[in-house]
Amino acid sequence: MNILVCIKQVPDMESRFKVDEDGTWFDGADLAWRMNEYDEYAVEQAVQLKEETGGDLTVLCIGPERVKETMKKALAMGCDRGVHVVDNESFKKDPFAIASIIAEFAGPKNFDLIFTGMQSQDRGSAQVGVLVAEMLGLPCATTIVGFSFDNGVISVKRELEGGVKAKVTASVPALVTCQLGLNSPRYLTLPNILKAKKKEMLVIPVADLSKTQALEETTSLYFPEKKGTGLILEGDVADLADQLIKILKEKTAVLA
Amino acid sequence: MQFKLTDEQKMMQDMARDFAQKEILPTLKEDERDHRFRPELVKKMADLGFFGCAIPEEYGGNGCGFFESVLLAEQLAKVSGSWRVPLNMQNIGPSVTVNRFGTREQKERFIPAWVKADSFGFFAITEPNSGSDVAGMGTTATDRGDHWELNGQKMWISNAHVGDWGLVYAFTDKSKKYKGMTCFIVNLKDNEGIVTAPIETKLGLHCSPTGEIAFTKARIPKDSILGEVGQGFKICMWQLNNTRVSCAAGALGIGGGAIEAAINYANERTQFGKKIGSYQMVQAQIADIVAEHEAAKLLVYQAAWLKDQGMPNQHQTSIAKLFASEAAVHATSETMKIFGSYGFSTEFPAERFLRDAQSLRVVEGTSNIQKTIIAGIALGDVENR
Repeated sequence: MNILVCIKQVPDMESRFKVDEDGTWFDGADLAWRMNEYDEYAVEQAVQLKEETGGDLTVLCIGPERVKETMKKALAMGCDRGVHVVDNESFKKDPFAIASIIAEFAGPKNFDLIFTGMQSQDRGSAQVGVLVAEMLGLPCATTIVGFSFDNGVISVKRELEGGVKAKVTASVPALVTCQLGLNSPRYLTLPNILKAKKKEMLVIPVADLSKTQALEETTSLYFPEKKGTGLILEGDVADLADQLIKILKEKTAVLA
Repeated sequence: MQFKLTDEQKMMQDMARDFAQKEILPTLKEDERDHRFRPELVKKMADLGFFGCAIPEEYGGNGCGFFESVLLAEQLAKVSGSWRVPLNMQNIGPSVTVNRFGTREQKERFIPAWVKADSFGFFAITEPNSGSDVAGMGTTATDRGDHWELNGQKMWISNAHVGDWGLVYAFTDKSKKYKGMTCFIVNLKDNEGIVTAPIETKLGLHCSPTGEIAFTKARIPKDSILGEVGQGFKICMWQLNNTRVSCAAGALGIGGGAIEAAINYANERTQFGKKIGSYQMVQAQIADIVAEHEAAKLLVYQAAWLKDQGMPNQHQTSIAKLFASEAAVHATSETMKIFGSYGFSTEFPAERFLRDAQSLRVVEGTSNIQKTIIAGIALGDVENR
């Protein structure tokens, strides 16, 4: 099996975000960075598959120098090599441009299976995996919460809206996007953290792989306006109850 | 000078934090209430390589040193002071000491089992009538020709009643004073002459088992001696200087955990219409404990780093232990005040941090003993080793 897993480095979601000077993205200074949560499920599943079937597992990440730290985590989890596509302005690229870069790299490598997270925690478009599959002409199963592989066929459980699940099968090569609930990412062991240091890290300038232009542009990023401090009802109890019932009838679907 | 952690060290720190949050915190309240020690958790730590620091790879070492062990201890203690203790019981105590003073055969036999937590370690120094005065201990080991006979009692021993193999210090020749002390590698299980019992009247560290050991004509094989006969006091001091830095890291963790809780609370709690963190008196409390915590961190990291470099460090280790444990007690005490009535409630973590922090100015040499060591070296009376 020749496996690729694509990961993204995102800010710790507990961070206090500030909009950057251009007003189109958040300010990256003073943020703590970590692996996108959904990509952790992708890496874990890819490593489990590799352990089961043998083969070779590559982890790819696009971004500035600092993403290497996150890639090392994937290597410590069990990926064999890293591919760092160096791009200091990856945050400006739309999902189409990012997917094009991945497809340009993955195309000639003939991966049997590509794992991605179902979306990133910062941009949250949930498009990159699907677009990569489309560009490479691969079957694609999204938001998977169960995975097995047997004899060239993947069987996955997908999570749909309203708690409904679907089972999907596809022959490899294929691409899956991973959702919370798929697995519990392993803890890194101290020896594996140190071994990761010695694993191969291939560095590719983004210009070598970027052959397309972005199709969309983020024109502004802003915090929603703070709403007022709720409505305080006044009066005696009977009057309060009447007022409340009126509001519930007029403004909500609680009372018809 | 280099004050930055490597990517690998940061990963270890993150992993330990994650482990503590997911494996310790969810049941901590009940475990504390029931004084529950979870052997399976020690095993999990072993599987992740927590106990292989400062140990050669051939005996199960993980390629890391004291510095990394200190990072782990800090993160574990941030969640629970109790769960920092296994690092000393499995790794920095018996394993590192046997690695330094043991024969090849002893190293092969004992160290991998401690590192993998197949054997629960311990070290027995303190007695009912001797604490700080180590050479005042009463336990004796008598040569009976084909075996050693141990007699005496040890008290306040971590892992006493759950321990397997560990180190016991005893006098082989009391007339030689401290030069008559010897270190033995002893199995507490399956020995008719050894009885262990838990001590459950501790103020804190409720998830860390502490107990007493009674030796009554206990037969110990002849090949149980670590190092040489009469070398026990030296081994004991060498060992304490190592386990001491892990206690200092535990203090860093407990203090850090309390400070985090205090800051969150000061940012959330409002009184007189404003966050309590906006009042200068609360700000002063936070400024003091944060400044002390950051200073303690540099001291503890420095002491661990010196050990990894093989440089003299007793002075710096005692300074780190003294400063970090006193800072932790101060931080947890201020945290309780900031929490007000909730600080006094067992429903909130502030009181537990305070109780656990108190242990750290007692274990591995009281704060007074640390001062004796620091002053002795500072005055030139004792060499820094």
